[in-house]
Amino acid sequence: MTLRAHDLRFAYRARTVLQGVNLTVRPGEVLALLGGNGAGKSTLLRLLLGLLRPTGGEVRLHERPLSAWPRRALARELAYVPQLHQAPFPYRVREVVLLGRLPSHGLLAAPSRADLHAADVALAELELTALAERRYTELSGGERQRVLIARALAQGARLLVFDEPSNGLDYGGQLRLLARMRRLAQAGHGVLFTTHHPDHARQAADRVALLADGRIDADGAPAEVLTEAAVARLYGLNEDEQRLLSAR
Amino acid sequence: MTACFSNPALPAGLARRWRGLCRASLPALLALATPLAMLLALGIGRFPLPPTEVLGYALAKLGWLSLPPARLALLDNLIIDIRLPRVLTAVLVGSALACSGAAYQAVFRNPLVSPDLLGVLAGAAAGAALGMLYGGDWRLVQLGAFALGGAAVLLGVLLASWCGGSLITLVLGGMISGALFTAILSISKYLADPYNQLPAIVYWLMGSLAMANLDDLARLGPPMLLAMLAMCLCGRGLDALSMGDDEARSLGVPVRALRYGVIALATLASALTVSLAGMIGWVGLLIPHLARLLAGPGNARLLPVSACLGAIFLLCADGLARTLTTTEIPLGILTELLGIPAFVLVLRRARHGWTA
Repeated sequence: MTLRAHDLRFAYRARTVLQGVNLTVRPGEVLALLGGNGAGKSTLLRLLLGLLRPTGGEVRLHERPLSAWPRRALARELAYVPQLHQAPFPYRVREVVLLGRLPSHGLLAAPSRADLHAADVALAELELTALAERRYTELSGGERQRVLIARALAQGARLLVFDEPSNGLDYGGQLRLLARMRRLAQAGHGVLFTTHHPDHARQAADRVALLADGRIDADGAPAEVLTEAAVARLYGLNEDEQRLLSAR
Repeated sequence: MTACFSNPALPAGLARRWRGLCRASLPALLALATPLAMLLALGIGRFPLPPTEVLGYALAKLGWLSLPPARLALLDNLIIDIRLPRVLTAVLVGSALACSGAAYQAVFRNPLVSPDLLGVLAGAAAGAALGMLYGGDWRLVQLGAFALGGAAVLLGVLLASWCGGSLITLVLGGMISGALFTAILSISKYLADPYNQLPAIVYWLMGSLAMANLDDLARLGPPMLLAMLAMCLCGRGLDALSMGDDEARSLGVPVRALRYGVIALATLASALTVSLAGMIGWVGLLIPHLARLLAGPGNARLLPVSACLGAIFLLCADGLARTLTTTEIPLGILTELLGIPAFVLVLRRARHGWTA
């Protein structure tokens, strides 16, 4: 199950955001997407998830255009882990994870025994069983992040797309998240995450893609792609700032 | 009921099970409490009847008990002709307003939203006032209320689509539409004959079940019940929708169809309540909060629980409206008087994001 963007283009009215992006997310690997603010990372993510229609090019999942996938079938293959947020209503952790079974049981049906079991398995996998009856709104950032990952796993999806998942997490939480993404890839999931931290890409990713000026500037192994010069170019660092980069 | 959810004397595991049991049995308890409240409401009035007599009358009508013919005729008149339409209308209006309120809150991801957000009540009020101004026939008033209630929401939705179609433009579109129809209502009042039409409009806007009759119920009841049933069936989709559009879409939910479908259903139910009973405020805002305290935020349970609580609340309010003074108090005034302190109490309990 491979997710492939081919010559992907997108514009908001007259403003071109992406121009000819090619990118592939494969099962069993972690791909980190880096880019400065406004580089188009979130737009690219939304296009890859089928949440936006491209103005040119296409996204294919398993060699089939995303637009040809029925909505529920797509949700069983491709899951979205959004940035940390607060829910407007205080759902229990189990209820949030059980939402991941919506693509399986449908909008109008109640969750079956199998759905409840799948949610329990996902909760156990993310070590959330003890928190299952707690309110999502009461949890810490790291715990909420785990709930959202558990929901994605409950979907049964093989490909997981994370939008800046380390935002709002403390240092320990960030490392735990990176380790978890590695474990997910080892279990056969394809993982794509956006980040502002080149270090996170070095620590967790098998492959790194740099997005600049609406194009993929580089795509390859972290050691090859994340050179000081490339990072300085990506974030527009001046000489002073580059010296800080070298001092690390 | 709320107290049993958090009994401090119980160990944590047992308390969780007890809470689960309470929550699981809540819809069944409310489903039993609603007919019980109706039975009590049928006995309330100038000529009070104990519940046993109402029950005896029901058994007599089923042929399981015999009553003297004169008594039966009296009870026929009192219960079937006078009180039953009123009680059924209270149940229907209360449940429709509460269910629509809960659905609107989920669609707009905002616990402070009521069914009036997109201008349905303002439109319906303007429509009813115009109906009174041009003819005054009760059917014309009902039709005007329903038509302009729907038109107000349609205008709000069209304005929102024209301006980008986001959730915030939908709210703003509803505000603009509501303001326009409030202005039309004011013009209608200004043009109305101050001795007959104006008091009629003002009295009608205060809400009342005095005009309830079985014919209206037979015409308007089925679409209201179907709208409520359809909203309840959409509960799990609404849960996903309240997490955000992108998340809901990535969970396979047809966001646009669900949002506008539920808005259409809630608008239909709310506009028909105005056609039946005039403007009755606070039910659509207060009752979903109360239901959330008891049943949690999951909409598959919240919507039916809200509907039952809305029905019981309006039965109680109407009972008070009929008995507190020698002349009947307009129901809208009473729901406000009851709703405001109740909402303050709910607010105090509303920790952790609007639940106890």
